Amino acid sequence: MSEKFHHIGKSLPRVDAPGKVSGLTRFITDMHFDSMVFAYPVVSPIAFGALDGVDISPARKMPGFLGAWFAGDIPGENQVGVILPDQPLFAQDKLRFVGDAIGIVAAETEVDAISAARSVKIDTTPREPILSINASKMATGKKIHENNIACEHRLERGDIQAGFADADVVVEADLVTPYQEHFYLEPQGCIVVPQGDAFTVYGSIQCVFYVQKAIAKVLGISFSKVRVIQTPTGGAFGGKEDIPSEMCARAAVAAWHLQRPVKMIYRRRDDVQWTSKRHPFQMHYKVGVSKTGKLLSADIILEENAGAYATLSSVVSYRATMQAMGPYAIPNIQVHSTSYYTNLPPTGAFRGFGSPQATFGHERMMDILADRLGMDPVEFRLKNILKPGQETQTGHALSTSVGAEATLLKSANAAEWQTDARPMVSKDGRYREALGVSVCHYGNCLGAAGWSMDGAGVKIQINRDGSIAVAFGLIEMGQGALTVVTQMTAEALGVNAERISILPTDTSQVPDSGPSVASRNIVMTGNAIRNAVEKLKPILSTAAAEAMECAPENVAFQNDQVVNTKSGNALSISALCEYLYVTNRPMDALGWWHVPALTYDAQTGRGEAYFTYSYATHIARVQVDTLTGQVRVQKVWAAHDVGKIINPAGLAGQVQGGVVQGAGWAIYENFGHDNAGRITTPNLSTYLLPTAADSVDVQAFWIEDPEPLGPWGAKGIGEPAIIPTAAAIANAVSRIVGQPMNQIPLTPERVLVAFEDKVVHE
Amino acid sequence: MLHVNTTEWFDLEVIINGRHIRASIPTHLRLLDFLRENLRLTGAKEVCGEGECGACTVLLDGKAVNSCLILAAECHGATILTVEGLQSAAGMDDLQEAFIRDHAVQCGYCIPGMILSAEELLTHTPHPDREQIRHALAGNICRCTGYQKVVDAVENSAKKR
Repeated sequence: MSEKFHHIGKSLPRVDAPGKVSGLTRFITDMHFDSMVFAYPVVSPIAFGALDGVDISPARKMPGFLGAWFAGDIPGENQVGVILPDQPLFAQDKLRFVGDAIGIVAAETEVDAISAARSVKIDTTPREPILSINASKMATGKKIHENNIACEHRLERGDIQAGFADADVVVEADLVTPYQEHFYLEPQGCIVVPQGDAFTVYGSIQCVFYVQKAIAKVLGISFSKVRVIQTPTGGAFGGKEDIPSEMCARAAVAAWHLQRPVKMIYRRRDDVQWTSKRHPFQMHYKVGVSKTGKLLSADIILEENAGAYATLSSVVSYRATMQAMGPYAIPNIQVHSTSYYTNLPPTGAFRGFGSPQATFGHERMMDILADRLGMDPVEFRLKNILKPGQETQTGHALSTSVGAEATLLKSANAAEWQTDARPMVSKDGRYREALGVSVCHYGNCLGAAGWSMDGAGVKIQINRDGSIAVAFGLIEMGQGALTVVTQMTAEALGVNAERISILPTDTSQVPDSGPSVASRNIVMTGNAIRNAVEKLKPILSTAAAEAMECAPENVAFQNDQVVNTKSGNALSISALCEYLYVTNRPMDALGWWHVPALTYDAQTGRGEAYFTYSYATHIARVQVDTLTGQVRVQKVWAAHDVGKIINPAGLAGQVQGGVVQGAGWAIYENFGHDNAGRITTPNLSTYLLPTAADSVDVQAFWIEDPEPLGPWGAKGIGEPAIIPTAAAIANAVSRIVGQPMNQIPLTPERVLVAFEDKVVHE
Repeated sequence: MLHVNTTEWFDLEVIINGRHIRASIPTHLRLLDFLRENLRLTGAKEVCGEGECGACTVLLDGKAVNSCLILAAECHGATILTVEGLQSAAGMDDLQEAFIRDHAVQCGYCIPGMILSAEELLTHTPHPDREQIRHALAGNICRCTGYQKVVDAVENSAKKR
């Protein structure tokens, strides 16, 4: 008998939408405190070199100047590296990128703080900066840190040489993916409010617990003295995972010295120059197949531009390594991934976290191989697609919730995939159209590399009036967390969604739940809600039975009432809550869920890299203007295995947004820097984002192959939404141009050059 | 946001969300800062500060403008509508309702500007097709939604008018 749900699977309108459409939602830029001052960092003007000294006398002359603090003024430890301890809060001797923070200035107004910070004279001895992966690799005697390698990962399974020996076709290719700037619309921002020896921090933050830890370390105080409250966050996409830690810690140093609330909002151009981006990858794939189209062996080298500090590179690189060959069965594989330091802004978390890059690699290879075999790209993928019971590339046999094949079949049918690879040509010959396909998998949550911190909680508090307050440790950043947390709580308790209010995420409410990343909110918070409700339900049932004078097993929660199933008598939820209070019963519960133990060997990379995967296939219909080289995505058929749908409309919104963000990365977003390490695309007239006029028609399809460990069977969706898009577009353009397009973005210049190469070769 | 050493003052009279407002303001004050800082109408957002993103859009005498590119003093005698002025005692206006109903909102930072650009469109083109809607909203950048549900919301709101 299929379970009937009242809230799961329904398109509850977003609970945060009324505040957002009326302009009344208070983001961090909209908040003020009495006696508040403003701060702004003093940063390195050079990409690489020595810091010889600073002169703050020009700042002192500025109106409203209150103070300037540097490395020597930090009360605790001068260190904010999120994984490796390689990043000082304020640089002391070595400067590693344009924007490397040296100190912080505070003034009475925002304009004065910015002007004063910019007026500080910084004496440096510049060196020639290292600005690419290859330059970092080749640099001898010029080290950004002790070593130019930030981290490495390996996967070794089977015997790749034997696999290549058995192969009928072996193909090698180099593939390149660029930076991507998050361009969350709301800039980075925070307010640090001192209260004696304790601090309350408000900010646009993806992980309140990271910020708590960073401030405690930098100020030399305990975690309990730092309370971090997340404010409504205007987009993050990974860009507010680790950056708020350093930003809030800088503001906290000023607040510590001044004992006044300190607000800091980065100006857009500074935000682009100073904060993280998607890692550029250069990849070398060598893949062998049998003439019947079976994948036999892969030797993959991934190289990543980590920028000036390691930040999250080691986990981005881990994910790319573990997923480098996609959702396919392959017996022999070797992957070696290396992140290189350069004198550019540190790269870090961006929706997909290494997966869009690796997917670009394996999905371009699948098309190149299919072409070489004379096989249809969809047919070739179907021969190799991971099925239940088969092992992933890391040797993890997944028996359930493996929806890869279903997503491929669904989108291919919907797109009316034609085996004929020839592009359609417009009558005048100018426009050509073709379809491109791309499949991905995405390991849910933090995986073996982040297992120790892969737990999350919720606190459910029942009030006397029958209203229910939920605090959760993860956050809303636009993806719809507040709404699905409301739905899942309502479902688990058997009450109306209107009773439920979700509190702002606050370190004082729930234990350390880690970051809202890795598409982990629904899985982690959903399971934690079920755990909390398991604790509350017996209390509620016993109380209800007592109040209704019946046996607890005859109590049911239905349609926002407590019902005596034997007599049919009912009690309202508010009456039950009042009864709980007057009979002195517990009215709250903390729910917790941790990803189960994973068997994984870090030396070989073999084992359960992640406990489960989400799967997706995108098929893009793309048009190329052969005169201008302009690429337009006309339509994308996106099929996603999400385990179980929680909110269909919200889910569609995630996929539509992900596809357009992926199309932006594939076509428009041409991030650049000059030879001094300065970003040359710091604004929207130089860094082009997709607009409503470029918007793609996305048709989404859902595969519900339930995950036994997912709440109600659900898996994550935030990141799978963007992962396959770029490769699908590049595969379509490759078919149109008749040349392998192994580098994005597919700018008009790049496309026209490829057409010319084709003509030359013919 | 300008840093100036000398400030000249201007006596501004303007109607904002139906309210007559008189204020003595620096001549260099941007309309966006006047709304956000002086009046605490924080619905209009600053994203780029260069007139490229549309997040600070307000209606100036019925026309959608980037309030980061206009001096408050230039608005002397004008009528301005911000997102806060859309809501009446009767509740939200139908575009706001449509944005909620059609799940057009994600992070919400672009939404006040987006809704005001759509208001302007529907004022002079009450029944636009999807292409007209996309074109009219092309100056309002959204990084979350991919625009599809935003266009749905405007289209559905127009159908009800």
